[in-house]
Amino acid sequence: MLSSFNLFDAEEKSLEQAEDLRQRLEQAPEAVRDGIASLIEAYSRSVREQRRLVRVSDRLQAQLASVNQELGKRKAEAEDALESLKAAQESLVQAEKLASLGALVGGVAHEINTPVGIALSCASHLADSTTSMRKLFEADDISVEDFERFMDTVKDTTGLILSNCERAAELIRSFKQVAVDRTSSERRRFDLAVYIRETLASMGPHLRQAGHTVRLACPEGIVMDSYPGALSQVLGNFVMNSLVHGYDPGQSGTLSITVEHEGAGSVRLTYVDDGRGIPEDNLGRIFDPFFTTKRGSGGSGLGLHIVYNLVTGPLAGSVNAESPAGHGTLFTIVIPLSP
Amino acid sequence: MDNLTIAATERSPAVDFDFAAGRLSLKGESYPEDASAVFGPIFAALEAFFGAARDREVSFDFDLSYFNSSSAKALMNMFQMLDQAAGAGCRLTVNWFYAADDDTMKEFGEDFSEDLSHVAFNLVSVE
Ligand SMILES: Nc1ncnc2c1ncn2[C@@H]1O[C@H](COP(=O)(O)OP(=O)(O)OP(=O)(O)O)[C@@H](O)[C@H]1O
Ligand SMILES: [Mg+2]
Repeated sequence: MLSSFNLFDAEEKSLEQAEDLRQRLEQAPEAVRDGIASLIEAYSRSVREQRRLVRVSDRLQAQLASVNQELGKRKAEAEDALESLKAAQESLVQAEKLASLGALVGGVAHEINTPVGIALSCASHLADSTTSMRKLFEADDISVEDFERFMDTVKDTTGLILSNCERAAELIRSFKQVAVDRTSSERRRFDLAVYIRETLASMGPHLRQAGHTVRLACPEGIVMDSYPGALSQVLGNFVMNSLVHGYDPGQSGTLSITVEHEGAGSVRLTYVDDGRGIPEDNLGRIFDPFFTTKRGSGGSGLGLHIVYNLVTGPLAGSVNAESPAGHGTLFTIVIPLSP
Repeated sequence: MDNLTIAATERSPAVDFDFAAGRLSLKGESYPEDASAVFGPIFAALEAFFGAARDREVSFDFDLSYFNSSSAKALMNMFQMLDQAAGAGCRLTVNWFYAADDDTMKEFGEDFSEDLSHVAFNLVSVE
């Protein structure tokens, strides 16, 4: 059935009929016969053209369909690529968080090492003194001077052991808070000045190593109900960036943090270093993910992107960077006390 | 008779009719919104030219990469006009150019040449 199907069946039948008619017009005047013949010729040409036009538009539509198909395929590919890029970015951001936690743990270990070391050597000195005292005691040979010297040693060492253990315990408390806040991103009430000091203490080893001076000017008693972990990560990134990008090795500078009230319910935190600053051309891109001038030597370019996300996300504020030529780098964040 | 030169637009072909030299060409794409605006002047010029062409030697290049259905109909009308002129004595050669990888354009050329009995028709593949 299919093979006998003909799109132009009716037209062909009409042509046959016309041909028939023409033959029966044998007797008609020549002018009439010629007229009919050329009408038939015109009609048959028109049918041929119709066939051709149908083919033209079929081909055009086929082309269009395959272009559309290609377009769909490309779109799907682009979407897939975007999807995996997002996943990659997500895992990099995650890795960056872990890395900053790693740096924190490293800092903690280093910082606690000192008081624990002092306490340890005091304790062993005390143990030694006690052993020799016991020997003298067993030999019933203790002089008054021996005993007085021992008592001095006991007083000095126990004093040092106590104060250093307290220092260690205090460090552990503040690190624990910072570490918990970083990982849990939990919302709670905290005293801003106290919290900034704790955060800076956790970066102490890095700062001291490079010999930088840190200034903090923050009114006491500002209580925030926000995400301290996010805030500490923001400050941590500012400080690490100053250390990594702001100064030449061996060069030391001043980092300062100033906090002021901004209207009734917000604070403005200004972070400044007096390092080499950021060139005008880069200033607009530093918050972009993966923008770094230290590619190949440890920079992933995510630090300030995370800062931007934390400030505009959980902290519900805004962040801005400036670098007046020759005057270091300045970051300003304005965040509500209670987002 | 004056030559006819019309620059191509995004939707209409470049027209270059050098009547003095007997060389005509249409080149580009053709999917105008108003086919008669594009083809009107072309047909007017061709009618005038072929009306007086007698047994001149004329070559006509078609180098089209895309056209829509109205343009296809216009091309068929044009080919009929060319074939009549050739039947009346004009020595006419039509060159139909198509990109080597463009089967569709090649098939259009084959289709359009079916009805031509007096014109010398060449299919020319372009790399
Ligand atoms: N305090 C600063 N002084 C000079 N340049 C800075 C300072 N802070 C940031 N920059 C510039 O901004 C860029 C982006 O900083 P960002 O913290 O986003 O990435 P990074 O420090 O290069 O890499 P990452 O933080 O992922 O290890 C840095 O590469 C640096 O060029
Ligand atoms: Mg950084």
